Amino acid sequence: MNLAPVEARANAWVDVLAAGARWCAAGAFLYLGLGKALHPVEFLKLVRQYGVLESPWLLNLTAAVLPWLEVACGALLLAGVAVRGTALVLAALLGVFSLLVFGRALEIREATALAFCAIRFDCGCGSGEVLICRKLLENAALAGLCLWQVLHPRLRYCLRPEIVPRATGRAGTAPTRCANNGLAIDISHSEK
Amino acid sequence: MRALPGAVAEAVLVAVGAALVGLVANALSPVGLSLGRDYFPKASAAPPAAEPLAASPKTARGGASAPIDRGAAVRRRLEQRGLRVIAGPEVVGWFGEAQGAQGLTVFIDARNEAQFASGHIPGAWPFDHYRPQLHLPAVLPVCLAALRVVVYCAGGECEDSEFAAVMLRESGVPAANLFVYPGGMTDWVARGQPVEIGPRGSGRYREKPR
Repeated sequence: MNLAPVEARANAWVDVLAAGARWCAAGAFLYLGLGKALHPVEFLKLVRQYGVLESPWLLNLTAAVLPWLEVACGALLLAGVAVRGTALVLAALLGVFSLLVFGRALEIREATALAFCAIRFDCGCGSGEVLICRKLLENAALAGLCLWQVLHPRLRYCLRPEIVPRATGRAGTAPTRCANNGLAIDISHSEK
Repeated sequence: MRALPGAVAEAVLVAVGAALVGLVANALSPVGLSLGRDYFPKASAAPPAAEPLAASPKTARGGASAPIDRGAAVRRRLEQRGLRVIAGPEVVGWFGEAQGAQGLTVFIDARNEAQFASGHIPGAWPFDHYRPQLHLPAVLPVCLAALRVVVYCAGGECEDSEFAAVMLRESGVPAANLFVYPGGMTDWVARGQPVEIGPRGSGRYREKPR
């Protein structure tokens, strides 16, 4: 019995799921980023609460650029441009955000003696006042979706999945054009 | 994993490109930030909620953003900034006087325009200190002519009244006339005082909860 068609069909479904995950992450970053970008003063105040950036210039730069950076990355993910690089940037940002939010939640816990998961505050994440445990879980889920894009061997429904050519694979040349009617790129052969 | 180095290089390019997009978007946005300005003049080094504060049993709702009786900590911080604190009962008294004597006491609302429109102390002037160019030309002459200037914001963790008061002082309003009302709108509403909605002098008032 030939299992290749079954495997190919399963792969195709996984690829569709990966693309869906990419669009979900893109939508989340567009929504959250635009919410902050359209109200930069509110975001500036929230960034200041963390007490990490003392210099007014750095504080302003962060509050001014970060929301638009999220919007730009969300747009790139949505269109399928530089997918792995963009997903890596977003995953790294989520990691840093989560650490900061966690640290701030610990400070609030010390000040208020509340249970950790009962702490809620506006973390500047773009979703208003939230329960901190829920926010950390959301961040972990979003980071997971982004890392999936980084590690998934095939990218489908992309305009230009890579803008930096990868190191050549065993075959001697890396695919720089999308396989399968120009909408997908397959790096599985270079993973072996 | 062979794709990872390429992805890292791509990530650097994306981060730089997106940051440049962010700079341009901020410069073009009508609500963009001015990178060189200090929006928090003479800000305290520690973030306010990091201070060990005692939650008021009457007002704490279990969340970090619940109204907190910051009392001594706020007073100390305001004194360090050379500002005077005014409590709710005095503000209510001054408000009553202000109704009969125009210009004796001026109320300055340091929140943003949307918050101001949703409800403010009747007769208060809007002054969003993050966008002073919109408000200072109208507010400053009024403050200079007044005997008492009461600056407030939302109350609780809000610090905008302090920054607005500092800006007014640096613009020439005598420090002796400037008062910060830390309770802000939260305290004002809790005292059952009238709340005007819409623009200043609209004459429309929020119905009191029964």
